[in-house]
Amino acid sequence: MRETISFTSPSHVKTALAAETYICSDEIATVGFLASQLEKPLLIEGPAGVGKTELAKAVAAATGRTLIRLQCYEGLDETKALYEWAYAKQLLYTQLLRDKLQEVLGETTSLKQAADQIAAEEDVFFSMRFLMQRPLLQAILHPEPVVLLIDEIDRADAEFEAFLLEILSDFQVSVPELGTLEARERPLVFLTSNNTRELSEALKRRCLYLFLDYPSMEQELAVVSLRVPDLDKGLSRELVELVQGLRHLDLQKRPSISETLDWAHSLLALNAKRLDTQTLESTLGVLLKHERDLAKIRKQIVPQTSTEKDDDDYDIPEEWKL
Amino acid sequence: METRILQFAKALRAGGIPVSQAETLDAMQAMLSIGISEKQQFRRSLRATLIKNAPDLELFDELFPIFFEGVDGAPPDMQNIMEGMSDEEAQALAQALRQLKADLAEALKRLLRGDKLTPEQLQRLASMAGLNRTRHFRYKDRMVQRMLKALQHDAVRDAMREISQLLSQLGFSKARLQELREMLQENMDAESDFLEQFAGQRITENMEAKPPAPEVDEVMDQPFGYLNEEEMDVLRQEVRRLSAKLRTRISLRQKREKSGQLDLKATLRQNLRYGAVPFKLSYRRKQKRPKLVVICDISTSMRYCSELMLSLVFAMQDQISKTNAFAFNDHLEFITPDFESRSSKEAVEKVLIRMPPGHYSTDLGGSLREFQRDYFDQIDHRTTLLMVGDARNNYRDPGLDIFKTMAQRSRHTIWLNPEPPMLWGSGDSDMQVYLPFCRHVFQVQTMAELAAAVDEWLTA
Repeated sequence: MRETISFTSPSHVKTALAAETYICSDEIATVGFLASQLEKPLLIEGPAGVGKTELAKAVAAATGRTLIRLQCYEGLDETKALYEWAYAKQLLYTQLLRDKLQEVLGETTSLKQAADQIAAEEDVFFSMRFLMQRPLLQAILHPEPVVLLIDEIDRADAEFEAFLLEILSDFQVSVPELGTLEARERPLVFLTSNNTRELSEALKRRCLYLFLDYPSMEQELAVVSLRVPDLDKGLSRELVELVQGLRHLDLQKRPSISETLDWAHSLLALNAKRLDTQTLESTLGVLLKHERDLAKIRKQIVPQTSTEKDDDDYDIPEEWKL
Repeated sequence: METRILQFAKALRAGGIPVSQAETLDAMQAMLSIGISEKQQFRRSLRATLIKNAPDLELFDELFPIFFEGVDGAPPDMQNIMEGMSDEEAQALAQALRQLKADLAEALKRLLRGDKLTPEQLQRLASMAGLNRTRHFRYKDRMVQRMLKALQHDAVRDAMREISQLLSQLGFSKARLQELREMLQENMDAESDFLEQFAGQRITENMEAKPPAPEVDEVMDQPFGYLNEEEMDVLRQEVRRLSAKLRTRISLRQKREKSGQLDLKATLRQNLRYGAVPFKLSYRRKQKRPKLVVICDISTSMRYCSELMLSLVFAMQDQISKTNAFAFNDHLEFITPDFESRSSKEAVEKVLIRMPPGHYSTDLGGSLREFQRDYFDQIDHRTTLLMVGDARNNYRDPGLDIFKTMAQRSRHTIWLNPEPPMLWGSGDSDMQVYLPFCRHVFQVQTMAELAAAVDEWLTA
């Protein structure tokens, strides 16, 4: 059994997460501390790739808890999220145990007796053995305290959200055949949302709320130097400045922190010393994922740096010029 | 402190943020575990417990200082600069002040003396700036600017520069003058801080004293043309609730529907109690989410109808696989990007700035032509084409042939028209000629009718 710890103060959260290479702002630290103190689920919203999922992972690692993750998608229902009976296994067991069943029923004389005998053995077939535990039930039944991450809740249907309400407020589930199962230790619950749709007021009311935005210059720089320590400091600064600038532009998809890191890694791999036009040209695809964005940025970056190439104009035949 | 938090929650509610009792309790619990000694931490803990929508954070940040920074956040008192002057200096100053206009000299003297504004003066300032009618923090800066203007701060600064020359001739040293100017500036800053706080408080009071919002049910049946701004706000709020309601109804209906593929697992599960004899069949949901092309008239008469329509559509994104929204008056524009990550009110405002409504400029035929030229590939057999408008075309070419091909290519064509059927075809209305190509035409004059129409076509 691993040693689990609980947070004692917001600054404790900060140092513990920093040890897991997650740089967090005071805001995150305070809210994270509150979530563990009040035992309330934490709803994290914000643009894609600002580290919402990472936060849950880091908290799990920092507290020594197991992370149980439920990825939401359209059409997710209870059987995928909570539990399901293993029908095939039940049927198989019935077949294999047929002889044994005969034995049990062998001594009975009336139909009623036989039914009673079978009923007495019912528990064998509706026991934990045949219950397939899905993430939510796993989180509830886990002997140690866990971190439950419900990822991209906005992708799930509205009914599923309503179903979650019960679990999030009481951390108990009733399985008709088994009775009510209750959590031994309340899990720390993180919900993330990319805000593709409005979540219900009821769900929001039960959660603490954290809006994660793109990090400030200093924070992002700290993240880069922590995660990609081998990258030249001057280059990191240049890179982060550029990314921060890009976020202010009207792009289809703004570069996220994870993309900054990817870019830093690729610059490191290319052994780049500074951000010249050529390096930019060849690696910009790591940062921008839309053709239109790429074209737009190329157009903005290249003219700035190509002033010295003006003499290229002379290669164009006179008659082609406008 | 508890009462302060309760008042704060009340003010947030007055500002239109839904703060429930449970959340207020959470806030108090958070306060207990975090404490209030660290103001920033306290602020963050209230923020995490009370505010659940990113756009509401702005109002929170405005209100928080007003409620919780009363004591140590109070602006510094103004200094009496005159007091520290020698008699000669005071005389010289009085002489210099005579060079200025009387009211300006008075204003400068007041600031030099560091006199606080009397309650009557404040009241006069507030009513003059229009602060007593303001219920939104967005106008706070403007209000403060107006009050500062009334107090002639800028003019006083200029006047001080003007008389500096004279003062130095009258014996003020350069350093002393500089000192004087700095002290004056400090007084002015203190006063503007004070006014800012005053404006914040006044706006909060106004928000709380707001007359009760108009009844939702009544507003729902109010024709779009007669809505005022407040009623419109009620409806904007209502769109959220309405979309949630519609969403559940629609998905329920789809679930119970007997179509799509047989769901073997679910069937087995459901019939286990019948000894796995498949009594009741379950079906997998068929992917029926429509793609949507909305073409909206945003001329003055149609503006509210289109805005509510669009906000409803964008609130229900999870029931629709893709929405391409277009707006037209005298030309056509693609407006989906405006709605992403923005409230529909702001989005519509932004669109309206880009394509300002003019009189008698609506050109539906021309806009359809533009649509055909630039966006025709947006329509395919899965698309529902949704037209919102009164089909009043100012006697121009209705572009009927284009509309016909658009209607044929799409799965459904639906028209929402705010005018009653008896007016269709009258005057410059081309509704009658478009009519044969539409699968449904709804008369949508009120929010209730709009909701009913959306409900019907999303499940149709």
